[in-house]
Amino acid sequence: MEEGGGKVRALIEKATNSTQPEVDPRLLKAIKSVVRYSDSELRLAVHALMEFMKRDHSQVRYLTLLIIDQLFMRSKLFRTLLVENLDQLLTLSVGFRRNQPLPAPPSVATLLRNKAIEFLEKWNSSFGIQYRQLRLGFDYLKNTLRFQFPNLQANAARIQQERRERERRSKEILLNKFETLKENFSSIKEEIQSTIDEIGECLDIVRNTGEESMLLARLDDDDDDDDIEEFRSSELQQIRRETLEEGEKVHENSENKVVFDALRELYKLLVTKHLVSVQEWISVLVRVEVTDNRFRDSSLKDFIDIRNLLQSVKKKCEESGCSLPKATTNEEEEDFWEEGKIELNKSGTVSACNRENGDLAIVSEPSDSKITVRHGKKKLESEGVGTESSSPRSKLLAEAPMVNWGPYLDNWGSKRDVLANQRGLELESHWGRVDYDAVIPAEKIAELNVHATVYKEEQLEIQQCRAPLRKGGLCQRRDLRVCPFHGPITPRDDEGKPLDQNLSKDEIASDSGTDLVEAEQLARQAVKNVRARDKDVARKREIDRQSMKHAKRAKLAKIREHNEAVLRDAALASTSRSATAGEDMMASDSGNASDRSKKQALASMLRKKVTPKDRLAQRLLNTKARDATIRQLTSAEDANYKEAFPSQW
Amino acid sequence: MWREIGDRETGKIRPNLFANRIKWNRTERLQLSNHKDIVSPHKGSINSLQVDLTEGRYLLSGASDASAAIFDIQRATEYEGGGVIAKHKCIFSVDKQHEGGHRYSISSAIWYPIDTGLFITGSYDHHINVWDTNTTQVVVNFKMPGKVYRTAMSSLATSHMLIAAGTEDVQVRLCDIASGAFAHTLSGHRDGVMTVEWSTSSEWVLVTGGCDGAIRFWDIRRAGCFLVLDQSLSQLGRRPPILERSATTKVSTTKSLLTSPSSLTKARASQKKLANGSGMKQSSICKFPAKGPMRQRLHPGMLSSQDRATAHYGAVTGLKVTEDGMYLLSAGSDSRLRLWDVASGCNTLVNFETVRLQSSKPIQLATTQSSDLIFVPCMTTVKAFDVWSGKTSLTFRGHYECVNCCWFNFQDQELYTGGNDRQILVWSPSQLIFDEVDGPAHDQDNWSD
Repeated sequence: MEEGGGKVRALIEKATNSTQPEVDPRLLKAIKSVVRYSDSELRLAVHALMEFMKRDHSQVRYLTLLIIDQLFMRSKLFRTLLVENLDQLLTLSVGFRRNQPLPAPPSVATLLRNKAIEFLEKWNSSFGIQYRQLRLGFDYLKNTLRFQFPNLQANAARIQQERRERERRSKEILLNKFETLKENFSSIKEEIQSTIDEIGECLDIVRNTGEESMLLARLDDDDDDDDIEEFRSSELQQIRRETLEEGEKVHENSENKVVFDALRELYKLLVTKHLVSVQEWISVLVRVEVTDNRFRDSSLKDFIDIRNLLQSVKKKCEESGCSLPKATTNEEEEDFWEEGKIELNKSGTVSACNRENGDLAIVSEPSDSKITVRHGKKKLESEGVGTESSSPRSKLLAEAPMVNWGPYLDNWGSKRDVLANQRGLELESHWGRVDYDAVIPAEKIAELNVHATVYKEEQLEIQQCRAPLRKGGLCQRRDLRVCPFHGPITPRDDEGKPLDQNLSKDEIASDSGTDLVEAEQLARQAVKNVRARDKDVARKREIDRQSMKHAKRAKLAKIREHNEAVLRDAALASTSRSATAGEDMMASDSGNASDRSKKQALASMLRKKVTPKDRLAQRLLNTKARDATIRQLTSAEDANYKEAFPSQW
Repeated sequence: MWREIGDRETGKIRPNLFANRIKWNRTERLQLSNHKDIVSPHKGSINSLQVDLTEGRYLLSGASDASAAIFDIQRATEYEGGGVIAKHKCIFSVDKQHEGGHRYSISSAIWYPIDTGLFITGSYDHHINVWDTNTTQVVVNFKMPGKVYRTAMSSLATSHMLIAAGTEDVQVRLCDIASGAFAHTLSGHRDGVMTVEWSTSSEWVLVTGGCDGAIRFWDIRRAGCFLVLDQSLSQLGRRPPILERSATTKVSTTKSLLTSPSSLTKARASQKKLANGSGMKQSSICKFPAKGPMRQRLHPGMLSSQDRATAHYGAVTGLKVTEDGMYLLSAGSDSRLRLWDVASGCNTLVNFETVRLQSSKPIQLATTQSSDLIFVPCMTTVKAFDVWSGKTSLTFRGHYECVNCCWFNFQDQELYTGGNDRQILVWSPSQLIFDEVDGPAHDQDNWSD
């Protein structure tokens, strides 16, 4: 029993000594299986768990609480033992006593408190009847200290209730609708039927006036014959058919305008009212649940028939061309959209030009401008040429550079001299005679019209950080390299997990590994060299003194070993990387390095994070800075004083 | 247990012994009752609890929200959880809204000892109200000079109906219900009086404990107190060693219980014997009074008021006389519990393993009928100490804040405790195994893996 007790304790200790937000499931399973088969183990576990709850570290307490919950939900003995000290447990996990606040890492502490409250609620709802202590604790936290309980069960029940309510209401509505349908079924049908009839009459009138209803059938026959008899180009055939169809269609004119208007009205009625209402009724009939299915089925059938009929009528109408207005509106819409696009483009270019003109930092370079001019010429030429064959033109267009709009384009490529004093207006100058024939030479004009462009930085799409946030979602910050909150920016998947973290790690590892290997090889080589030299020396010595004794040789070997060690050290220490690598090797050699690192992690959770405020405080509130400030202030005061009372010393 | 019943059947053990054994066994198994809940209507801490002395059925509670409530602890008002949990709701409660109700915290609520027709509440609003239980009206009202800390009535009294009231004031007042006036004013304390307790052996003897740390014994038939307990006077064991000197004092004190005038002369005589160094407590008085003439002018009954001996460092917060009236247990704000031999007035030096006692409020102690165990509120827990050895025998954890009062019901061996967390908890003997079967079946082990 004694060593068994150590076992469960050790297991709990191991399970709680972690920085993970969950207990290791394997350890948990081990604890459960140990505790399940032995009551004494369970007692020990209770003691151990309460002891761990007293640890001055919220993480340990949190993990312990998770284990407690697991056992509490399972073992009756555990429950009876634990509720004895429930107030203590709550003090340690909820931290409701002011003189015993929860220990250090505050984030884990809040997590611990929330979890404890949640667990207490769960325990109370499932075992409250058996344990007065649970009821008391729950009541105290809820009614005296007014803690907010998550109220999981009540919430779930409420949601369920609401959903049921909603369903019931929708059913009721459906039923009501169904009843009204029962009453109005015949009238609805009649109405629709009358509309359909009217449409049919209208169509008949239209067809009769057109007198070309026969043509279509004949045409079709023709087509079929043609197909069989002779080859024609399918395009031509298509065109012909279209034209024939178009011709076959009855067009609106002054005679049948009234009929078309009526048809259009009816069509509108059909589409916007009847078709929609029939769809609705069908859906109602499908969803409604009634005891008497006969009426439902029959009416459903009717409605489906009506719908099909309506659709066919609608199609007919469309064929006859009464749905023209709708199509035109569509086209208009499209047109409008395109225009909008163009406008947008224009405005964009204009704004760009404005920006260009307004900018002070104009970079102008003659050679560059020449290039653009040349290209521009090409472009112009190509435009001229491009009318005949589109392919070379497009090729050239693809080659040609984009030139921004500017005033220099006004006299692009002209090599004329410009009259300097011609403005198109005859103005008497008061400044003396004017030489109207003064000419600005072409070179000068070219110089004046030098094409200036502003350097534009290439727009780079800056990657989002996309690190997962605590409240859900991904970090939307765009930083070049390092996000101030989430560190270096790495490509991440949709959940915010870094895509190639492991890969990069491996790479790094392999990098360092190769370095290590190199260093080691170097060291080995050095050692080998030295050893060879040593061997040479030794051989010489052996040749010299054959009568050497074994002891002396051993001594020599020892010295040699020492030399080797020194040399290896030297070789390894030659690069800093290799030195650290060596240390790593040492560390991995020593057995419980991982254990130590874990403990460090637990302790590191307690360490306070250095905030920018701290750093500023360190800078600004140290004695040196303070003294300097004071000195400055006093000197300024002195200066003031001296200015105010210059005669006093 | 079955053996004992067999023994009783065959007449091997006496009925009294049998009953006591059963009671003792039940008391040993006290634990938080899961089957009896008292639904507290109070919105403040519970300051006082008492079950009536006649029927042992009605629990009276007084709370800091100026409300008092009465519960029937025998018959539950409703059941919960499939009839497992019996809820006891109050039969009625009186609070601030009541026309005769107190305005401030009720510090003490006690039953009239003879029947349940009256109960008495003392409050921090300087008033003591006597209520008619059946009409829930105030029938008598006493205005006190300060906050009332504790009221007490003698359960033995046949010739008087006096309420002893300990208040902020230094004087202990005895209020007569019959006349509605103060019958006595007992002065001697130098500070407020936290607790008052009537002797269980004599209807005339009153014990008071003050904030000055003194415990005084009064015989209400005469002026002044006749005994002041001194913590430095001690004896080992339950009886003082039979010495000549202590024997004389014992005679004097015991006599004083019976006839006061004679003890007076004794006291004066002992004072004259000061030079001889007869060093018991009554003689130690004379170290303080400075002048001879002053001493002579003092009323003989007031002599002991000069005695400044203290029973505790700090205030005396709780007093309890054992059922046989031979011993007095006192709790102080120095977190000590002392057992005094009333006969000798000595501290018996029993070391109670208290941890810490509440010091700001008076606490209400309780003993079992045989006075083997004393129940003491120790901050958030209640502890049961063995009276003679001072060992902790039981610890009751259940309250989440300080416990103020407890009451042990002799009849069915139940303990009631009330605390600052507004709960009245019932601690009852744990049920035997065969009783537990009827609980809902789902409190079982549930190992899924």
